[in-house]
Amino acid sequence: MTKVKFLLGISAMSIACVQPMFSQESIDSLVLEDVTVTARRPSAKITAGTPVQMLYADNLSSLGVNDLADAVRRFAGVNVKDYGGLGGLKTVSVRNMGAAHTGVCYDGVPVSNCQGGQIDIGRFSLDNVEMLSLAVGQDNDPLQPAKLYSSAAVLNISTAKPKFNRGKNFGGRVEVKGGSFGYVNTSARLSRKFSDKWTGSVDGIFMRADGNYPFRLVNGKVTTTERRINSDITSWQTEANLFFNPSEDSELKIKGYYYSSVRGLPGAVTLYNPVSTERLWDRNAFVQTVFTTRLSSKWRLRATAKYNYGFNRDRETGNQFSGGVYKDVHLQQEGMLSASAQFVPFRGLSVSMAQDGYYNTLSSTMSECPFPRRFTSLTVASARWTPGPVDITATLVNTFITEHVRKGDGPDDIERLLPSVSVSYRPFKNEEFYVRGMFKESFRVPSFNDLYYERLGNVNLRPERAKEYDLGVTYTRSLGSWLDYLTVTADGYYNTVHDKIVAFPTTYAWHMANYGRVIIRGIDVTLAAAVRLPRNISVVVTGSYTLQEALDKTSRTTKNYGQQLPYTPRNSGNAGVTLAMPWITVGYSLVGVGEKYFMSQNIPANLIKGYIEQNITLSREFTAGKTDITLRGEIINLADAHYEVIKYYPMPGRSWRLTASLKF
Amino acid sequence: MNFSNLKYSFAMLAAMAGVMVSCSDNDDNDFDDSGSKVEMGNHRVFILNEGTWGMNNANISYYNPDKTGDVISDIFLLQNGVQLGDNGNDLIKYRDNMYVAVYNSNYIARLNSAGVELNRNEFASDPDLQGGIRSIKAEDGYIYASFYGGVIAKIDSNTLEVVAKLATDGMNLEDVAIEDGKLYVANSYGIIDGNYVYFNEIIVVDLRSFTQLPSFTVTTNPNRVMEADDKIFVISNDYSQESYVLQMIEPRKDNKVTVLGFATDMAEGNDVLYLVDSRTDYTTVPFTTSNRFFSYDIKRGAMNESSFLKDAPAELASSSVYSMAVDDETGDIYVNTTFYTYSNGDCYRFRRDGSMVEMFDCGGQNPRAMVFFDR
Repeated sequence: MTKVKFLLGISAMSIACVQPMFSQESIDSLVLEDVTVTARRPSAKITAGTPVQMLYADNLSSLGVNDLADAVRRFAGVNVKDYGGLGGLKTVSVRNMGAAHTGVCYDGVPVSNCQGGQIDIGRFSLDNVEMLSLAVGQDNDPLQPAKLYSSAAVLNISTAKPKFNRGKNFGGRVEVKGGSFGYVNTSARLSRKFSDKWTGSVDGIFMRADGNYPFRLVNGKVTTTERRINSDITSWQTEANLFFNPSEDSELKIKGYYYSSVRGLPGAVTLYNPVSTERLWDRNAFVQTVFTTRLSSKWRLRATAKYNYGFNRDRETGNQFSGGVYKDVHLQQEGMLSASAQFVPFRGLSVSMAQDGYYNTLSSTMSECPFPRRFTSLTVASARWTPGPVDITATLVNTFITEHVRKGDGPDDIERLLPSVSVSYRPFKNEEFYVRGMFKESFRVPSFNDLYYERLGNVNLRPERAKEYDLGVTYTRSLGSWLDYLTVTADGYYNTVHDKIVAFPTTYAWHMANYGRVIIRGIDVTLAAAVRLPRNISVVVTGSYTLQEALDKTSRTTKNYGQQLPYTPRNSGNAGVTLAMPWITVGYSLVGVGEKYFMSQNIPANLIKGYIEQNITLSREFTAGKTDITLRGEIINLADAHYEVIKYYPMPGRSWRLTASLKF
Repeated sequence: MNFSNLKYSFAMLAAMAGVMVSCSDNDDNDFDDSGSKVEMGNHRVFILNEGTWGMNNANISYYNPDKTGDVISDIFLLQNGVQLGDNGNDLIKYRDNMYVAVYNSNYIARLNSAGVELNRNEFASDPDLQGGIRSIKAEDGYIYASFYGGVIAKIDSNTLEVVAKLATDGMNLEDVAIEDGKLYVANSYGIIDGNYVYFNEIIVVDLRSFTQLPSFTVTTNPNRVMEADDKIFVISNDYSQESYVLQMIEPRKDNKVTVLGFATDMAEGNDVLYLVDSRTDYTTVPFTTSNRFFSYDIKRGAMNESSFLKDAPAELASSSVYSMAVDDETGDIYVNTTFYTYSNGDCYRFRRDGSMVEMFDCGGQNPRAMVFFDR
């Protein structure tokens, strides 16, 4: 029996040698037990009908990427709104449809935020993450919960499974990082193999930063250097995982997670007024369990359950508040149950069904809080058929939402049945060249803030609808012994958003409204290559480029009709090169964003300049006895570019970071 | 030494004129354009554009009513090389200067007739005034300013030094108006335990002693307070009623309050109170606004329900009116509309008889106030 062991080196991926396994992956189950292959992990799902990109944490750390938001912005077609600093809010919008259309899942289980409608990815640490993937449309895991079919795009965060070196039954990793502006991050993981069937791991991550970085403030003809204040963060995250494999065909995973943080909210830079006193406390805890089992050669089942608790408290001082203090508290809870099944009647056809139920509640200290209770039922039927070189997936998603409130009127029930289709075609049998196309209709429901916020909320809001069309090509090949692989993807897309939920201003009072129509056109190109040079040196290159037009097509009479949406650069891209040599690894990465407007009207007064941010990283791995040690030094924003992602939320200039980690 | 009588008379006349000018609060016709980077006209309209919160894009734009169509957007930046800041809330003319109160940036500045900044006073580090400056009015060499946090400041109109602060029993104060040696201030709302609580009183301050006098009650959430023809007019944003409520206060009758009807904005000039009532229907998609323009004859105490605009363009019937202003010298009426954060607003200029002159882009977002200079 051949042993397969995935080598998690820094380098690279060859689709070719794992191709047969991957094309089977979704139809039959892939039980990767005792098989050894010098496998490389793909940067994109070449064969899938929907564009899916992947990033691996160890590759990211060799490029100096240290946090989730920094990693996610390297996906093509992604727009991360970063409010600056380690504690600043960071949201992800894919192909400009808006952050509320991006679903997020953590180890296969959806993450929600019904209060604000968008997920702050800044709070997730990259330290215990192994892989990130971004799927436009949805990913092609046939047993995923129904919720992961319902967004326009899904960001999946996969944490590292317990690993045991050298036949041991325990293992772990300790890492210490330090950097500019008072940054300290310590994390530890302990894994234990209790028996053949039971494995467990515990993580703890502690992070703090002062965040008082200098920035350049341009005010007309005067440029001054200021310091960001009230920008500190202290956070603690702990996670415990238990894996139970009663047999080869079943797996039970249980996870408990707790996150707690306190941070300053510096707010936008206000000219002539540096006062900032707002503080935010966050607490988030959840328990999720996933049970997957193969019943027979044709049937697989999965059951998922989750309970989530989210608490945040906001506090601000000033004499405009009674008693000099402003306070508000929000509490969200979620309960979720999901069951999914996959049936493979014969090779080449797979049928899946998934049924999810969610129960979400919100309570807050706001005087008009109606204490909403939202019940959501999602049902998905999906079929994947692969006759020869064609791979077709068709999906139907049915959503039913009903909401009850303690006071005032609640919104009407929502019931929608929406389709998606994706096709992948391989025209040449001997070439890894695919043509793919996708269509999907989805929507996002109004958040609790959209519906109930004092005077601004509107219970008559309808869901915001999105339609996505994609046409692309993918290609991968290797060449001789020197080019391990070269993978290229190119996609052209056309998306529309209707009934966009916006705060609609009127003379009387601002009110949320379905008012907005956007047309988005773009091209995403990704490239990944790995080259083997003599003397045991390897080079990995990754890059992506996005050209995008997102135009407001709401009302012809407005001055901003047909103009680019705020915070939408026409051009953006990134590149990374890792040079792995026996005695040192060098990583260089670059993120470039073109100019964009920070308000709706595209006039010079509303322009934010483009910027380029570069990192350089040096790392060295060596072994001492039974321990693997990695030392890494990074300079972030090498050229000290002073830039903003969001206007008046300056980003840090040049900074440094040192990491030491031990694996045993 | 022998002074010719004529020279002496002229000298005396000039001296007297100088003395009269410095004692009077009336507008003067002397322009001080020192430091100006552009040639400006004999008639000037300065527009304070509030901007969008957090965007630091408040500005003052300049329109020359003699050369129609001539607008300089952000003349403040042009003349001073720095931006006005965040949230321009009030702009007034006093003697030969302009004074601007910028709320979120929290400062007051004195500008000359060309918009060149002469001096300023920033309040961010003052714990009493840290709530933010809102509205300003001037009398007898002082500027009186209301602040969020319940404080009224008495500011020297030349040095801009705060000579006195009055901590009232109000919370978030809005417009101020002066009549007969008294300051009338709207005590609009407070934030108590994280929630908005609306108040219903006008705070009265005696200017000479700079102490608080008894307040009186008006409709909930008073915001606009304006003096016209020895009376005080108040608009309260009472969200429980069908529209905002217009009230007249008669200081000579012990601050008697009379509800005049519904109106969302007002401007005074030509002895008339120009009014607009903007109503939004939230049941349509998108929401629709309809504006009714009418006026109140202050002297006769009579409401004139017909529109004071003769040939208003169709869009004015449903635009969001942000402010109105009257040029006392020419009688021109300006109706200023906003597109909030979506784009710059527009100004519609009408003659006194209601006939339209022209419409122009106001050079910024949310045109909030206008000041007129005439030589």
